[in-house]
Amino acid sequence: MTDYQWEILQKTINGEKINPLPVGFIIDCPWLPNWYGINILDYFSNDELWLKANLKAINDFPDIMFLPGFWSEFGMCTEPSAFGARCTFPANEFPHAHKVIHSNDDIESLSVPNPKTDGLLPFMLNRLKIAQPKIEDAGHKIRFSVSRGPLNIASYLMGSTEFLTTMMMDPDKAHMLMRKITDFLKDWHKLQIQTIPSIDGILMLDDIIGFMGEAEFCEFGLPYFKELYNADVSVKFLHNDAPCKVSAPFLPEMGVNLFNMGFEVTLNELKEITQNKVTMLGNIPPRDVLASGSVEEVKSVTSNLLNSLEDKSHVIMSCGGGMPPAVSSDNINAFIDAVKNNS
Amino acid sequence: MNELIERISICVERGKVNKTSPYPKDLAGQDGADELTRQALDSNLGPDSILQACNVGMMKIGERFGRNEVFVPELLMAAKAMNAVMAHLKPFFKAGTVKAKGKFLLGTVAGDLHDIGKNLVSMVVEGNGWQVIDLGVDVKPGKFIEKIKENPDCIVGLSALLTTTMASMSKTVKEIKEQFPNIKIIVGGAPLSHKAAEQMGADGYAPDPQGAVEFLNEFIAA
Repeated sequence: MTDYQWEILQKTINGEKINPLPVGFIIDCPWLPNWYGINILDYFSNDELWLKANLKAINDFPDIMFLPGFWSEFGMCTEPSAFGARCTFPANEFPHAHKVIHSNDDIESLSVPNPKTDGLLPFMLNRLKIAQPKIEDAGHKIRFSVSRGPLNIASYLMGSTEFLTTMMMDPDKAHMLMRKITDFLKDWHKLQIQTIPSIDGILMLDDIIGFMGEAEFCEFGLPYFKELYNADVSVKFLHNDAPCKVSAPFLPEMGVNLFNMGFEVTLNELKEITQNKVTMLGNIPPRDVLASGSVEEVKSVTSNLLNSLEDKSHVIMSCGGGMPPAVSSDNINAFIDAVKNNS
Repeated sequence: MNELIERISICVERGKVNKTSPYPKDLAGQDGADELTRQALDSNLGPDSILQACNVGMMKIGERFGRNEVFVPELLMAAKAMNAVMAHLKPFFKAGTVKAKGKFLLGTVAGDLHDIGKNLVSMVVEGNGWQVIDLGVDVKPGKFIEKIKENPDCIVGLSALLTTTMASMSKTVKEIKEQFPNIKIIVGGAPLSHKAAEQMGADGYAPDPQGAVEFLNEFIAA
């Protein structure tokens, strides 16, 4: 993000009304390599192609704040790899990590990784360090430390069904796992922040939150997220495009001040249940409209969303979730035009 | 309703698997679905009535899930309790005392390791009297095709949680339909919609496990 975009982001989070409303999108794999025209494995394994793809996105769409921007990632494998998960990278498909916890007893012996040396984390961070001068030459800065959230990582390490049933059947073990993952994530974010001094935000992505009831979320999610978002940065960003009605009222308590949600709940409703304390990044339907819709449909749905807003503070226009596969440049431009013309 | 049958139904609804299970807290130390099913069979209660108890329990928890009164962990626990019942009933299925409504071949598509949705559907569909052949997660199209050849009378269910694996689901539907145009395929998962299901050529879409059951039952009835 440029200094100007960062300033706009902070003003929006502080409740200032921006006209036209800012536009922001989470972009990552597979949208970015597909859009840039390279295969997924090349995007993950070739630092130069990764940088070129990201630079083309910021150059083609200067009006968009890409969040987190220059996201150095290996899909769902990034953090699980540090715990020793086998990672599968098909040539042109999204990679995935395999379980490392096969019974609750394995939780006790699970080691907390060292983010400086373990799994793919050194590759992720080193890519950022190598790319940093060129990113800054392009007028941008790396602003966010990024990771999957602790519940999401837990579900990758032991399987989502197993993790959720462990919460019910063996809560002590579930807490032990959450403790280890949270300790690791604190170290991991701290390392990213220390390594790249321009970082002043944290992004965590966690859709497992969406599967939990209030009691489970308050016991197994909330305290750990609070610890993690207690970091000394100004933007505390959460992505959860699974159901969010249960957890959204707790966003301010979690410390979150920027939220990217799904598209089932309206922005008006979310603003109300968060007492307008959290900036919303959303939320036209990502697949049925932004990816599959016509230019006219994108414009129409975007305009309708804008016109429906009772209060335009604390809003960054986006889709509900990250940029889905196969969104065309035409549809992105239609979205930007609709925001400019209707704000 | 017989008291044991009623208690089995409650155990399924509340997710009380067995006596040692600490969940739910208010039923700690009490017999669960496992023990009560054994007792019911020992008392010569018919497996059909026990299966019916499962259906009632799963239907009630499914309705509460639909009303957002309970969430995925509670539904998973109910399904676990139902599995404890089904373990006792399996011999009756094999012997033909209890007949399955049909075969449901289910898996999470290639590239996706999420199993919550698939497992919920599997358990609820099984609780409704279907034989479920669960292929697990990260299932390649070839594996589905191999299993369809072995079970040509099955209906296929494809699950995905990740937006990124929708392409894989679409590919799986296409490859199955190329070889078995008459096989019915239902898809489900967070990134999907009726529109997306239709675009990929699936015969049905279910937003939740109960929707899958309704699709299957309607199809059989037709």
